[in-house]
This record gives sequence, structure tokens and C-alpha cells, in this order.
Amino acid sequence: MNTQVSLDIQVMLETQGLCKYWGGLKALDGVSLQFYDKQLHGIVGPNGAGKSTLLNLLCGHYKPTHGRIMHKGEAIEAIKPHAFARRGIGRSFQKTNIYPGASCLENCCVAVQRRMGGNFNLLRSRYSQKVLDEIASDALDKVGLGARRDQIAAQISYGEQRQLEIAMVLATAPQVLLLDEPMAGMGHEESQLIIELLNRLKREYCIVLVEHDMDAVFELSDQLTVMVDGQHLTTGTVSQVRDNPRVKEAYLGQGDEVF
Amino acid sequence: MLFNKRTERYFIWLFFPLALLLPLFLEQNTFYVSKLTSVMIFALFVMSLDYLVGRCGLITLGHAMFYGLGGYLFWMIAPEYEAVNFWVYTFYICMIAAAVALVIGFLVLRTSGIYMIMITLAFAQMTFYFFSDSIEFGGNDGLFIYVKPETSIFGLSFFDLDNPTHFYYLCLLSLFNTLVFFRLLIRSRFGRVVDAIHENPGRTTALGYNIFLFRLMSYVIASALGAYAGYLFTLQYGFVNPSMLAWTTSGSALVMSILGGMGSIYGAVLGTFVYEGLHYSLEHLTEHWLLFMGALIIAMVMLFKNGIAGYMEKLLEKRV
Ligand SMILES: Nc1ncnc2c1ncn2[C@@H]1O[C@H](COP(=O)(O)OP(=O)(O)O)[C@@H](O)[C@H]1O
Ligand SMILES: [Mg+2]
Repeated sequence: MNTQVSLDIQVMLETQGLCKYWGGLKALDGVSLQFYDKQLHGIVGPNGAGKSTLLNLLCGHYKPTHGRIMHKGEAIEAIKPHAFARRGIGRSFQKTNIYPGASCLENCCVAVQRRMGGNFNLLRSRYSQKVLDEIASDALDKVGLGARRDQIAAQISYGEQRQLEIAMVLATAPQVLLLDEPMAGMGHEESQLIIELLNRLKREYCIVLVEHDMDAVFELSDQLTVMVDGQHLTTGTVSQVRDNPRVKEAYLGQGDEVF
Repeated sequence: MLFNKRTERYFIWLFFPLALLLPLFLEQNTFYVSKLTSVMIFALFVMSLDYLVGRCGLITLGHAMFYGLGGYLFWMIAPEYEAVNFWVYTFYICMIAAAVALVIGFLVLRTSGIYMIMITLAFAQMTFYFFSDSIEFGGNDGLFIYVKPETSIFGLSFFDLDNPTHFYYLCLLSLFNTLVFFRLLIRSRFGRVVDAIHENPGRTTALGYNIFLFRLMSYVIASALGAYAGYLFTLQYGFVNPSMLAWTTSGSALVMSILGGMGSIYGAVLGTFVYEGLHYSLEHLTEHWLLFMGALIIAMVMLFKNGIAGYMEKLLEKRV
């Protein structure tokens, strides 16, 4: 579980004093974190700790109340929501967010087409480019949904829909993957598949993983952050975090014996 | 709902050949030819609205603004006593309407849902009162078009717009082309993004699409075609009139689109013909036709969940 922090490791994404207030509620309160390329950064914390809020800020879904978001050294908190994805910041949501009425392949095709160009081509058939279908198919194969290719997304199981969402994010060819509880509601076998997948992917992408399944997070994380009540409690390697007395306290305080 | 292509194909193969032959049987009766022409023109208008509402999920109550604009624009830009070229002016009117739609769409499309309905309605009402209150534009009575355009292409003329049968065929051709255009548009790459936005706008943004631009483009296309329909209406009757701009025009078009099967495109033709057919027959039967008509429309909308197109598809599917 040790990370060799070599010199060529690159900060992909960084937050500086990031805050998000909902009226008086401080969902996120001055969080500063660094996410490295080719590493998986786990984020854990009790319900309402602000984990989803953090991801929603990182992907441009919400605008921060205060603070900065840096992507490869550039401040991006003010850019338009769709521009985040164009910079290679891909996102899966805690609540399944797909096109339920379309086939699994079509779901991924929408994701692929954006970077293939011709999105304003009014007459060219959407089925005219073989490569597009192939890339979309590959993304489905990667998450183990190859057999569901032509099925309508609404008709596959809940766990499979979660997998589909990851496939859609992969199909956008991102550099950063923001995954919000991708394994929630999955069966054991499906989770195992995703864990294997993430283990492979984390060597290629910068991954931020919010997850309740502690075994999975411990197994996967290069860096681990604990959040409580919108605040950053600690960040470090898995063993550092496990041994941190404040973490035990915070979790025991919640009556949640996970460690 | 995704409408299946087979039923659409049946419809196309049934409707258009029939419509092509019909004037041969109605040779003596120009009244029916003209009546059918006007229904086809309105069907084209409803089709453009159906694309916006059913396919893009942009609910507007101001689409008649472009219908009326098609007519008024012609009066404004064409010389009064000189026959202009029909095709050239078709191009002009569609382009100007598109430019207007670009500006209005830019404002309107910042809102959505009920707010968008209110704002489109507000714009349409502003336009309505502008034209009905101004003396230069003939006020409530509207304006006459004295000279109809000629239709030559490179010196060859196929249609004489003063001949009702010719005009009928021109409108039939326009309707057919519009249907084919929308089919291509829906199938296109652009159409894929439009479908995605309709089903899940948030997801589509998160995939990196600027959904505003796609909505704006759809709005511009539908508005230009709506203006084209208004232009045809004006040429048929030789006048423009503020009632073309009235919100009731948008309202009935919306009802026809729902009746036909929202988002199916070809359903717009079904919806318009059934609505106008009912209107015409009930009007002759009773003074209180509006009451019966309203009741019938409500019954049909409740009976056919996805409109007439959806119902036909269910029937055809059962038999397979
Ligand atoms: N859109 C919103 N409006 C108001 N409050 C919100 C909104 N989203 C999240 N919150 C609040 O912010 C806090 C953090 O939520 P969240 O980030 O979803 O926590 P987590 O994902 O860690 O469980 C919660 O108290 C939640 O109620
Ligand atoms: Mg959450």
C-alpha cells in the first residue's frame, strides 16, 4: 500500500481553500487537496461529510462559494460546466446518471462523439462512422458490459447501470476520473470486477474515488483523505490514515466502526 | 418514447401517393383543393413545433410569432407591384427568420420549463400587439399581397402560384421535404446530441457538450421552417393578418402536435388533419362545435397516450 513518491509525479488537480455553502450550511469548508496523476485518491467520511459536494465542484457541476480549483496549474473554477469535461475531467454520479431510453452502446456513443467532431453536422448519419462505434464498444468491454451492448439501458440491472456509467466516462477519454460511490448497490461479483478495473485504470489516470466500501478503498487507494462535516481531517497513505487517532475518534464518534 | 420507423414508413407510403393523386379526383372542386392546401401548410408549421417540443423538449407557446413573421416579412421585403422570385424570397425569409430566432432564442433558451413557456408567450404577445396596433402594418385588418411571386428556376417555371392545383403541389412538396429533412436531422450526429439533451441534459453537459448551443440551433431551424409555413399561408390567401401571430395559433398547433404524437414528426401531419377534419365537420353540424371539439380532443388525448402515431404503432406491433 506504499506509494513511491517520485519526482516526476505530477499534480493533476488541486483545490485551495475550497468552500461551498448552502445558505448557512457549510457543505464544504476550506478544503485544500492535491490529486496526482496516475494515482488513485480515495475519499471517505460519514454521510453528509461533503464528499459528493467536493466532486460536484471538481467537475464543474457546482460553482464554489470561495476557493480555487487548479487543473495542471490553471485556475478553472470559473469556466463553464461543459468545459470541465473538455479538459478531460470525467465524472460518474452517486445517483445513476445515464440515458435510460437508449441502448448501452448509444449511451457510450454520445460520450465518444463529442471529441470526434461533427456534432453540428445536421445531415451526416450518426451511424456513419465505424470508429465511433468501436471506441464505444471498447469502453463497454472494459467494464464488462460487452454482452449488454444493444440492450436498452433502463432494462439492465442496477449494478450494470453503474458499470455503464463508468464506461461512459471512459469513453470520453478523460485524464481525471471522479467516481462517486461507483460500487454502491452492486453485488459482490460486480464490485470485484470494478475493483479489478480500477486497479488497472489507476496506472493511466488520475482517479478520485469516493466509496463506502472500506475494503475496496483500502485496497485501491494510493492516497486517502478523510473528511468530516465539510472539513478535511487528514490525508496520507492508507496505513498512515488507519493509525491516525483522530480518524478513529471521528468515526467512533459517529458510532461507525469501520476501522 | 422512441417512435419506430416502420409505422412512419407505412404512413409516408400511404399519405403521399394519396395526396399526389387526390387533385385528379377533385379537378372540379377547387374548394377542397384549397382547403387541403391550407391544412398541409399548417401541418408543416405543426411539424416544426413538434420537433421543438417533442424532440428537443423545448416547450414554447410563441411559435406562431414565426408563422406570422413569415407573412409580414414577405410584405416588408418584397416590392408591392412586382412579381419576385419565389425561391429567392423563400431563402430571404428563412434567413431573416433564422436571424430573429437567433436573437430571441439567445434570451429565451436561458430559461426552461414553465419559465420558457411564459417568456416565449411574452415575446409572441409583444409581436402580436406590435403588428396589430401599428397603422403601417395594417393594424387588426392586416395587409394585402397584390402580386404573387413567380417560380422560375433558370427560366423554367413549374408552378403557377395562382393556380390552386399547382399551389397544392408546391405545398405537398414542401411538406414532404420538411418531413425528409427532419428524419435526416433526427438521425444525424447533431440529432444524437439533441436526443441526449432531451433525455438527460445534466449528463450531456457532464460529457462536455454546450447544450445551450444545440438548443439554439434547434430553435433557429424550427423557427425558420415555421416562418416558411407562414409565408406559404400568406401566398395562398394573399394577405397577412395579426391572427397568424396570436397565441391561440401556437396553442392549436401544440394541441395538434400532442394529438398526433409528440416527437414523432410524421404525427404532426396526422394530428393536423384529424384536428382540422373534426373542426370542419363539426362546424357544419352544430353551432356549439367548439364544445364538442374540445371534448373530443380531450378524449382522444387521454385515449392515445402517445398520440395517434403512438396508437397506430401499438396496433401494428400487436399484429406482428
Ligand atoms: N444542492 C444542495 N442544496 C442544499 N444542501 C445540499 C445540497 N447538496 C448537498 N447539500 C448538503 O451538503 C452536505 C454535504 O452533502 P454531500 O456532499 O452530499 O455529502 P456526502 O456525499 O459526503 O454524503 C449535506 O448536509 C447535504 O445536505
Ligand atoms: Mg455522497
